Amino acid sequence: MADQNKPGLFEKGGKLYWLHSSIDAFDTFLRVPGTVTRRGAHVRDGIDLKRVMIMVVIALVPAALFAMYNVGYQTAHTYSLDWGFWNMFWYGLLRMLPLFVVSYLVGLGIEFASSQIREEEVNEGYLVTGFLIPLIVPVDVPLWMLALAVAFSVIFVKEVFGGTGMNIWNPALVARAFLFFSYPSSMSGSSVWVSKTWVPSLKGVDAISTATPLAIAHDGGVQGLSDAGYSFMDLVWGLIPGSTGETSVVAILIGAIILVWTGVASWKIMLSSIAGGLLVGWLGQLGGGIPAYYHIVMGGFLFGSVFMATDPVTAAQTETGKWIYGFLVGALAVVVRLWNPGYMEGMMLAILLMNTFAPLIDHCVVSVSIKRRAKKALTA
Amino acid sequence: MNTNNNIYTVVYTSVIVVVVAALLAFVSQSLKSRQQANEKADTISQMLTAAGFGTKAEFQKIGNAAVLDKYAQEIAEAFIVNPEGEKVADLPLDEVYSPSQLKAQNYKLKGSDVPELPVFVFKNGLTVVPVYGAGLWGPVWGYVAFEEDGVTIKGAYFDHESETAGLGARIKDDPAFQAEFQGENADWEADVKVFEIVKGGSPKNADGSEIMDNRIDAITGATMTSIGLENAIQTWLKGYSKYFSSKEQPAPAEEAAEEVTEE
Amino acid sequence: MNAKLKETILNPIFKGNPITVLVLGICSSLAVTVTLKGALVMALSVIVVCGISSLILSMLRNTIPGRVRIIVQLVVVAMMVILVDQILKSFEATYAIDKQLSVYIGLIITNCIVMGRIEAFALGNKPWPSFLDGVSNGAGYGLILLIVAFFRELLGSGTLFGVDVLNWMGYVPNNLVILPPFALILLGCIVWVQRSIQKDLQEK
Repeated sequence: MADQNKPGLFEKGGKLYWLHSSIDAFDTFLRVPGTVTRRGAHVRDGIDLKRVMIMVVIALVPAALFAMYNVGYQTAHTYSLDWGFWNMFWYGLLRMLPLFVVSYLVGLGIEFASSQIREEEVNEGYLVTGFLIPLIVPVDVPLWMLALAVAFSVIFVKEVFGGTGMNIWNPALVARAFLFFSYPSSMSGSSVWVSKTWVPSLKGVDAISTATPLAIAHDGGVQGLSDAGYSFMDLVWGLIPGSTGETSVVAILIGAIILVWTGVASWKIMLSSIAGGLLVGWLGQLGGGIPAYYHIVMGGFLFGSVFMATDPVTAAQTETGKWIYGFLVGALAVVVRLWNPGYMEGMMLAILLMNTFAPLIDHCVVSVSIKRRAKKALTA
Repeated sequence: MNTNNNIYTVVYTSVIVVVVAALLAFVSQSLKSRQQANEKADTISQMLTAAGFGTKAEFQKIGNAAVLDKYAQEIAEAFIVNPEGEKVADLPLDEVYSPSQLKAQNYKLKGSDVPELPVFVFKNGLTVVPVYGAGLWGPVWGYVAFEEDGVTIKGAYFDHESETAGLGARIKDDPAFQAEFQGENADWEADVKVFEIVKGGSPKNADGSEIMDNRIDAITGATMTSIGLENAIQTWLKGYSKYFSSKEQPAPAEEAAEEVTEE
Repeated sequence: MNAKLKETILNPIFKGNPITVLVLGICSSLAVTVTLKGALVMALSVIVVCGISSLILSMLRNTIPGRVRIIVQLVVVAMMVILVDQILKSFEATYAIDKQLSVYIGLIITNCIVMGRIEAFALGNKPWPSFLDGVSNGAGYGLILLIVAFFRELLGSGTLFGVDVLNWMGYVPNNLVILPPFALILLGCIVWVQRSIQKDLQEK
């Protein structure tokens, strides 16, 4: 349909030209466009940005599905409700749907508006960001806060820097950071992880506070975890309180396999960040902390290193740089967890900080490589 | 005129410096009494705020003279104790300890000299004592008001010189932080901390209400200020611990009742 | 002459604003803009310090030995800063604000706007234009300070000049706005707005 409308109406000079970027966006979203670049030398792949983005979303689906089940499970578990599997899943689905709707409505709304203003094509970068944001917040976060955070992040992190591909920081993480620093009481603590809103029978029942395993381990170590009823395998399967999508190691690993297998995300970053986390965790373990491997399965560590740190726009671009970047992400995240009593979860801060330094890492890697080759050329 | 020869330069700068120094010295001297009056009224209003006679904003509104009046009405006695809990001297009722005086006592408290610790007792039985220490960027100080039992904290007010606005400065600006002290208890046992400012604060009762103990929640994002304030409170209240322990009376009625039920 | 004087007064307010165009005095504008009251007192202090220092140094300009002129400027500016601080401390109404601003009043001395205008303008011009130049540069600085403080106090505390504006209708204060980084974001927005109005400021 869009095709028939396109000539005349939406081309330059057409009546509805001002809408052309929106029409283009939907048109190319559905089908691979026939237009090709005609000038200049360039390397092209059969796969375009939209297909890459879709691949990331597909990789996120296991984590999202598990998140929905877990939201329902946590509610049923905490308030001792007699819910079956589908009941838990439907409750989680209903509870998380508004988060996705708000995230996409606000984010895409701003993207489309700003593309219209700049008379540019709409970028599809928000597809992934919009899917990530609901997965890294507590389920009970108020929707207006989420809308504000999405707006802030899209405007000040993406559009101001020139849109998709030009941003320095991961927009989804900035949205989370905005929420975290603006409204700490809705983003951390022990009363935000389990949602009892929308359960009619729980109206008027006092909220039960539930700490995340990360918080429990922070205060009580492994002993505290087992006192609270969490075994290591619980943390792996992920039926634990936490930000919606980050809890299940299994679901995240399925996503990681999809990402690595399709070549969308860098396995080097994933691997080196886990190595960095393990190394610092091991140092902490020597100082009397919890075993290092607990850091990998708790909180947002794995989700961050698989889906956020590997974001091709904000990560290091050079191959050596990816090792350094990933290692520092993992190491810093655990450093914050171990030695900063103020913020329990270090992954968000570690990735944002390393996003900032990624261009510097690349610069150093490139100039070292140039120097080495120059030396080689001289001696040869 | 040649303004670049050496003698001219030296004479010129000397004259400028002397003139400026004289001017500043004159201004400083002539404004000193006003500044001290402001500081005293500020200190008194902080003590009154800690004791719950009003809020800092209210005292600011009514002005210095009214604050001094209010203080004169409410104060019963003021004296100095030593760390052994013994009263060593009386203070005139219109005299308070300025932050710089607290600083001097803080050195003694940490060193080997015997500090002079001021105690302010109000007519309604409240006892207000100061605390002083180092925050992140500069000194932090404040006043803690105790109920008659010498254990329960009635209220507290804190001030600082240069903590980060919005973070460490919340020890002064955030009424919620100061309200956390209300109803908590100091722990005068010799070998434990008198009071703690920790992440998470006190554990909760089953019904979600806070257990009143000697802990309150630290300020998120202001770890160093929280630690500094805790150390200030710890150092100073330790100095007062013998004074307050001697005041603390065991509750004989309750103990007797317990014995009866045990039999 | 009249047109030139007008230019001297108007230029620093908008077209040549010391914060948004010259990017001077950023540090203090992040620190003192949490409340409007603090920003207002800071702005007035900078106007007074900048104006009177310019006036004094412009009067002395032909007598100052070239080799020590920076030191002489520093002595005069420092004197003005201490005077302002002492006077603020002496009045009941301003004592609390002076305490709130704490070191930042004293740090006016390191504000590049003051020394910059003296070096660039007052030492080469007659006292009256120099005074006006100092005052209007201070005012340009103060204007930005007040704009930033307006948004920070409104969004961060829900109040304006300490009077409740938003909280009564259930507004949840935004904690990020209170933190210094947000002042930088706001400054960025002001620069953005200014450059969209005044196209010749845009870099090619």
